[in-house]
Amino acid sequence: MTRYAMVIDTRLCIGCGDCVVACKNENRVPAGLNRDWVVERTSGAWPRLETEFRSERCNHCDHATCVQACPTGASHHWGDTNVVLVNPDQCTGCKACIAACPYDARYITPEGYIDKCTFCHHRVEQGLDPACVATCPTRCMHFGRLDDPRSRVAQLLRERNGETLKPETGNLPNVYYLK
Amino acid sequence: MSESNTPRLPLLRFVYDGLRQMVRGRVVYWSWIGLLLAGILVGGWAYIQQLQHGLVVTNLTNQVSWGFYIANFTFLVGVAAAAVMIAIPAYIFHRQDIKNIVLMGDTMAIAAVTMAILFVVADLGRPDRIWHMIPYIGNFNFPASLLAWDVVVLNGYLLLNLGISFYIIGCHYRGCEPKLKLYFPFVVLAIFWAIGIHTVTAFLFSANVGRGFWHHAILAPRFIASAFCSGPALMILGLQIIRRVSNYPIHQSVIDHLAIIMTVALQITLFFVVAELFTEFYNETEAVMSAHYLFVGLNGHDQLVPWIWTGLGMLAIATFIGTVHPLRRNLLLLNVAAVLTVIGVWIEKGMGFIIPGFVPTPIGEIYEYMPNLNEVLISLGIWSIGLLLFTLMAKAAIPIECGALRAPGIPAGKLICRPEQQAPEYRKEPVNGESES
Repeated sequence: MTRYAMVIDTRLCIGCGDCVVACKNENRVPAGLNRDWVVERTSGAWPRLETEFRSERCNHCDHATCVQACPTGASHHWGDTNVVLVNPDQCTGCKACIAACPYDARYITPEGYIDKCTFCHHRVEQGLDPACVATCPTRCMHFGRLDDPRSRVAQLLRERNGETLKPETGNLPNVYYLK
Repeated sequence: MSESNTPRLPLLRFVYDGLRQMVRGRVVYWSWIGLLLAGILVGGWAYIQQLQHGLVVTNLTNQVSWGFYIANFTFLVGVAAAAVMIAIPAYIFHRQDIKNIVLMGDTMAIAAVTMAILFVVADLGRPDRIWHMIPYIGNFNFPASLLAWDVVVLNGYLLLNLGISFYIIGCHYRGCEPKLKLYFPFVVLAIFWAIGIHTVTAFLFSANVGRGFWHHAILAPRFIASAFCSGPALMILGLQIIRRVSNYPIHQSVIDHLAIIMTVALQITLFFVVAELFTEFYNETEAVMSAHYLFVGLNGHDQLVPWIWTGLGMLAIATFIGTVHPLRRNLLLLNVAAVLTVIGVWIEKGMGFIIPGFVPTPIGEIYEYMPNLNEVLISLGIWSIGLLLFTLMAKAAIPIECGALRAPGIPAGKLICRPEQQAPEYRKEPVNGESES
């Protein structure tokens, strides 16, 4: 299995939102909808405060509950990878996947089917990084194969502790955040 | 069956006779049919709006993506399940009085499960692609997807109940007794299937690991318990109406029996609610936010708070009426309790159950939801379809069951009741051996 993963260094992220804009441009995301978004978390007590920015999107889980929930197989894994895609021609818009996703990554399009982040698999096929990663001005985002120990993402996760969101759901997400 | 008496095309004759019964009725009957047809027309118009513009005409959002439709769906699956399960005592304890109403239970199950399926269809963003959910023809994700399971069990349940009730009716129509050996296995299957449809529907929600409000083991038991409240409650009301308008032999002992089932189920339901409230609130975890939103409000968002307490209050009053024997035996108070139960369960496992699953969203945002007019009208239309289905089926079934309507050449059966006649006062009959004084 080819495991694509994203590793995001929250210490370098400045919360500019360029990843969001790049995604909307690249994927022609309809107005009012987003495939990725930036979360800002402030912690600590004044005056010792700390702000963390997190660029969030679909986690392309190994055990994707959305793929499991889909009654028509419209939600599926791309080939033998962990990348979760939606086939718009098979989607009935039942929204079972929206209920199943622990990350709020999915939305319903004006055409009535469900859509979400694709890890820009059309770019990955050509050997390019996803649009959000390619755009990031502080280069805090990294994309690559976790099953290749020489890849940048594998190296980063070896060097520093990467955390995933909601690991307790058992979804085995593949977007890591370096603290 | 004597061959000389069998008409040509007996099935066609059966359909014709049935349809003829459906179009014969008095002013009250036709006013009721007219009302339902009006409801269907209005709902149909609203659905056309939704087909043209998509789900954007509803108040559903990406955050609260299931709403009023799925709330009604959950409620109706419960009604459908309970309508068949009340047949259990008829066959196990050989209660003839309950056997008389088993067919009515089946009819109600058919109407309820049809409505449930229609509500899911109304909730689809792309109903034109529903054929993808047909096994073998589409790309059916069975057995992984719980919704695929629901498609299988709901449609199977519909076919099963259609089969059983049409077999019994058809036999009576031809003047012979249905062979118990032939259909009893299917009745047993239907009873287990009934538990199955509601369990699968509960699993559809509890499977969602990201929604703490639903991810409970108690969900399926709670669903079954509240189904045994709303199902018998609707039967209590429906059977009394049928008794009033058609003189079908519905003994008070049946109503009393249903009242006991409803009461016990209400007590269990309230116990489950208390168990859930304790677990959620005694030591609060992160997953308590949804319960907070539902029961006390979250950060000033409290649209559902009066809603859920009204529902629970209704259930509490109904439980009290049912539990105190003199109150339950008073038919008027029992009817009040039945109405309160139906509305209370509709609130508690409808909107009161679906919406908090989405509030707050997994990433912590709060989007409130209330259905808009279009959603209410479509739901009204679907309810009208279900009630019309029940009315028409009961209208055709009652003369056959009474022994008044038979296939040509078959002598009329022993008349156990006469349709279109004023009902005798059943209340005067002794109930289960105890006298009413």
